[in-house]
Amino acid sequence: MRHAHHTHGVRSIDHLAYTSGMGGWNPAFKTALALGTLVICLAADRPAVSAAVILALAALQKAKGGLALHDYLGLLRVPLAFLLLGGLAVACDLSRVPAGDWSLSLHWFYVCAGADSVRFAAALVLKSLGAVSALYLLALTTTACEFVGVLRRLHLPGLLTELMYLIYRFVFVLLDTHGRMREAAGARLGWRDFRTSCRSFGGTAAGLLLVALRKSRAYYDAMAARGYDGGLAFLEEDKPLHAPQLVWMAAFWAALILLRILTA
Amino acid sequence: MEQPVLQAKDLYFSYDGKVNALDGVSLDIHAGERIAVLGPNGAGKSTFFLCLNGVLTPARGEIVLDGRPVDKKGRKRLCERAGIVFQNADDQIIASTVAAEVSFGPMNLRLPKDEVARRVDHALDYMDLQAFRARPPHELSGGEKKRVTIADILAMESEVILFDEPAASLDPAGEERLEGVLGRLSAGGRTLVISTHDMDFAFRWATRAVVFAGGKIIADGAPETVFRDAETLRRAHLKPPMLLGVFELLRARGLAPADAACPASVEGLAALLDGAEPPACGR
Ligand SMILES: Nc1ncnc2c1ncn2[C@@H]1O[C@H](COP(=O)(O)OP(=O)(O)O)[C@@H](O)[C@H]1O
Ligand SMILES: [Mg+2]
Repeated sequence: MRHAHHTHGVRSIDHLAYTSGMGGWNPAFKTALALGTLVICLAADRPAVSAAVILALAALQKAKGGLALHDYLGLLRVPLAFLLLGGLAVACDLSRVPAGDWSLSLHWFYVCAGADSVRFAAALVLKSLGAVSALYLLALTTTACEFVGVLRRLHLPGLLTELMYLIYRFVFVLLDTHGRMREAAGARLGWRDFRTSCRSFGGTAAGLLLVALRKSRAYYDAMAARGYDGGLAFLEEDKPLHAPQLVWMAAFWAALILLRILTA
Repeated sequence: MEQPVLQAKDLYFSYDGKVNALDGVSLDIHAGERIAVLGPNGAGKSTFFLCLNGVLTPARGEIVLDGRPVDKKGRKRLCERAGIVFQNADDQIIASTVAAEVSFGPMNLRLPKDEVARRVDHALDYMDLQAFRARPPHELSGGEKKRVTIADILAMESEVILFDEPAASLDPAGEERLEGVLGRLSAGGRTLVISTHDMDFAFRWATRAVVFAGGKIIADGAPETVFRDAETLRRAHLKPPMLLGVFELLRARGLAPADAACPASVEGLAALLDGAEPPACGR
């Protein structure tokens, strides 16, 4: 049941925010913490800093968010797979003759890697993973509505916020509908063999487009029926900012910067 | 006669420019009415609701609110006064938590923040949803989602509420609960318009039945009158309500008084057969 897991994965972002121990934190504070850490991680450009960010944020998600380490790793799996593949591409070269420090013969050509390029790729993967961790701090603890509120207060153009939110909402519909269509096709033996599968996929993809068009109209109608005329806004609960949180954030950032200086 | 709250005057609407989804529809809605809108799928009921609330602009004809035609500027006022509870709750639900969801309408009305909070609280209390307020609405059951979508409209304090096939996704317990809510809303003075395929519900609940077919209103009147009209029922592919059939049978056998009107409920029928006054319920 791959799709069920998939649908669940995306759908559960709001669920994670609801169950997260950090759900009650001030959303603007979480945004600042996430973006600040992201910037430091990218600007420092040191494996040690990236690793510290990854570990500290994982610990935070576990200790304060109450997210089981296993679930956190599960959520990191997809971006991690992409990053590792990308890292592999950066680390390795293809060549007709053996080159670099290691080479693997694949009959027609060699896959080669040098110690430098491997180190560079590892640093890149760590840095990207640090950046993903920082964004996850926001994504796993803040509802989409609250995030819209933060963006609005940052005076991001309303159209942009709206577009982001609608796309986010649409992902659910598409995954949901696709899952249901696949099930329906499966019930009619649409995935029996490769050829039928290809046909069924074509069918569901075309169906998906129609559903998407119809849904976008239904969504718009339902929003307009409640007086929507641009400018997405929801009532937000007051989530006060606590002074110790600010102190911790400053200390965390200072430690990261110190680490950067020490590893210069 | 008093001024209708909401009037549709000779509405025409077409989605594709060829077939008219609404083909000359006129209806006067008076305050406090309970109107059941019946008719087969594709008859134009949903389209009519969208026009009544101002989401769709009819190609011809006009919507009249409190005696004044609604122009472009009056649209906001229209969707405030007449709210739609959509058939498919997932189309309507937009926010990440139940409280944020219910606040969407009042926020669009640009009300002050504490007024929005008050309305959200009131709507959640009314629909018995306080326990769910921080939950993501997409995780709720079908019946709970339906209650959220009703709370959405209650928070706008619309006096006319249009329900598009509200029972479509409900189990029997959910339907019973919905009927309870409808009863309370009606007793509280709201004007309710409900599209439904449930003839028995329409018969016991509505004060007026309106039948759509092919984008036109083909019958409009007291439920008993409309449901006795075999030609109307045939054209709209409707079956007469069970109670009416039973009552006819009893009357034909001389078991019910020949001059009595058909009671709206089974209890009413029991009272009639016992020779007592029917209880003052429904109509
Ligand atoms: N979004 C749409 N695009 C094109 N045609 C539509 C759309 N919605 C409804 N229709 C058509 O308009 C007619 C009336 O539909 P509708 O108002 O949904 O009927 P009902 O609610 O009574 O089932 C139908 O023929 C339907 O196919
Ligand atoms: Mg409909």
